Amino acid sequence: MTALVADQITKSYTSGRVETPVLQGMSIALDERELALVLGPSGSGKSTLLAILSGLLKPDTGNVSALGEDLWKKSRADLEKFRLEHTGFVFQGFNLFPALTALEQVMLPLDYLGLPKHAVRNMALASLEEVGLASRAHLRPIELSGGEKQRIAIARALAKKPQFLFADEPTSALDSVNGKNVIDALHRVARVYGATVVCVSHDTRLAADADRIIHMTDGRILSDVKQISASAPSRSISAEANP
Amino acid sequence: MVALARKTLIYEWRKFLPAALAVAFSGLLLLMMTALMFGIFSSAGVYVSRSGGDIWAGYPGTQTVELGRPVPRDTEMWLRMDPAVVQVEPFQWLDGDWRGPAERGSVSVFVSGIDPNPNGLMFSHVLGPADRARLDEPDAVIVDEADLPKLGLDIGDTAFLNGHRVKIVAAANGLRTLGGVNIVTSIATARTLVSDAAERDKVAYYIARLAPGANPDAVRDRLAPIAAGHRFAVWTHDEFAYNAATYWMFETGAGLGFIFLSFVVFLVGVVITSQTLFAAVASSVREYAMLNALGAGIGALRRVILEQAFWVGTVGVIVGSVVSISLALLAHGQDVPISFNYIATIACGALVMAIALISGFLAVGAINHLEPANLLR
Ligand SMILES: Nc1ncnc2c1ncn2[C@@H]1O[C@H](COP(=O)(O)OP(=O)(O)O)[C@@H](O)[C@H]1O
Ligand SMILES: [Mg+2]
Repeated sequence: MTALVADQITKSYTSGRVETPVLQGMSIALDERELALVLGPSGSGKSTLLAILSGLLKPDTGNVSALGEDLWKKSRADLEKFRLEHTGFVFQGFNLFPALTALEQVMLPLDYLGLPKHAVRNMALASLEEVGLASRAHLRPIELSGGEKQRIAIARALAKKPQFLFADEPTSALDSVNGKNVIDALHRVARVYGATVVCVSHDTRLAADADRIIHMTDGRILSDVKQISASAPSRSISAEANP
Repeated sequence: MVALARKTLIYEWRKFLPAALAVAFSGLLLLMMTALMFGIFSSAGVYVSRSGGDIWAGYPGTQTVELGRPVPRDTEMWLRMDPAVVQVEPFQWLDGDWRGPAERGSVSVFVSGIDPNPNGLMFSHVLGPADRARLDEPDAVIVDEADLPKLGLDIGDTAFLNGHRVKIVAAANGLRTLGGVNIVTSIATARTLVSDAAERDKVAYYIARLAPGANPDAVRDRLAPIAAGHRFAVWTHDEFAYNAATYWMFETGAGLGFIFLSFVVFLVGVVITSQTLFAAVASSVREYAMLNALGAGIGALRRVILEQAFWVGTVGVIVGSVVSISLALLAHGQDVPISFNYIATIACGALVMAIALISGFLAVGAINHLEPANLLR
């Protein structure tokens, strides 16, 4: 099922009088239960594309429709509500609050859904379990490794069981073992929750684990290939080697 | 709810400490200024505050003792006719010209003519029965200890007051008034010092003591219409003391200066507090942007910052109070004229909290243009 459709989106940045086109009429349709990997050299517009698809950045022209709703016809508050209910994010910087424990990091966004306290706690614990960090629930970011922090960020993103998960260079601050773990986790989110997962990276080593690989250069799609991914992520994310 | 505001404050207390200290020191400064102000100007009210009695009667419209004018002689009778009044005594106040040792020239002084009775009301907190008894002697005067060097005289010395020879029979502590030397004498001696013979048997004030349990406000209200018809006015003891302090505050310009200075302190407090708070919030802007990306509304994030400002204010008020109390105790031991006033202290606390909250609203600016898209690079 197609869950996310971008139609003829364009985006350019102006600095001073110079206008730099970044996306030049791009169209893309993404399915649920699919981990789509967007690959391309630095500066090719991957992050811009992800921001527009996820409802964080308004395109100059073109539409984005998610779950049949036109994202960029919504007000800022409605967009926030849509993201709250349907969208998770994982970024290169983990953006965890230094003061909060792993469990609280995951609980925090759930609080805004207005769920009862015990439900929030149970969902957060389950999510930490999912990424294999239940035993780290009481630790603060300063006590966690980079790989663990990124898994906390993933747990935070998927705790609410979102239909969409967007990841921007989630592995680039990590070594290859931890990077592989993160990709496996994202893949599992697509399979287990049926989410549409879009991961953007310049790291071609991740290609083996994706269901679909989209190559970009200069704001255009170069190739778009569906594949049977090399590692079927049937095992639990938590069964990974700790570095 | 995860208590993000409080947990961050506690965990990152070093970041927020400067803001709390800015609040605390603004509060300290405001409170000390106020206490000094009231301390200094309460001496304007010594005539009232150092005396017994519950009701003052004087010339209508009199703001402070120094501005008194003679009242009709029947004032005393009108006071006595009130059922709650158990004691009435006259108090004479006049300007004087003091000539002590030749080389000092003349000094302008204030003369207080009081009832020297052992149970007299005027200056009853300063002058005990022994001192009062000394005033029974004709031409005897008492001055404040601190004024003796100013007059260049000692106990037992004589001087000329409005041309009469008077003798300093004692020195007391607590007679100093704002703006002049206070010479205390008996009402009989004071009469001889009045130059205008026609006014000699009139005084400027009558002080009344009420029966225990009587409500001074009620008595004042009862006497007011009578007073209005007989060319005098009545005030309660507290009212008259307060009038004197505020009169001098504004008469001297010190009051306006004080208000201006408070405003400056307030402004400086807001600038420093908001800047430090802004910096503390800005250092977490990526985390706030992440929350916003995940769907937390800007309004909810603003509330987190305002809550932090509130706690910073609370800590600031507590720290400021502790330091203020310590300083007040220290100052008290050093005879610094400070005096704490209930309402003024609460007003300072409110101003300080306002500093913290206004700073919070300004610090919210750090996330006003939150762009979660900037987290993607
Ligand atoms: N906020 C911005 N203002 C101006 N130029 C930008 C901004 N964000 C990105 N760019 C430019 O747009 C181009 C694409 O950026 P981006 O989408 O981040 O590429 P990628 O993620 O593939 O590295 C780059 O040339 C970048 O310099
Ligand atoms: Mg990028």
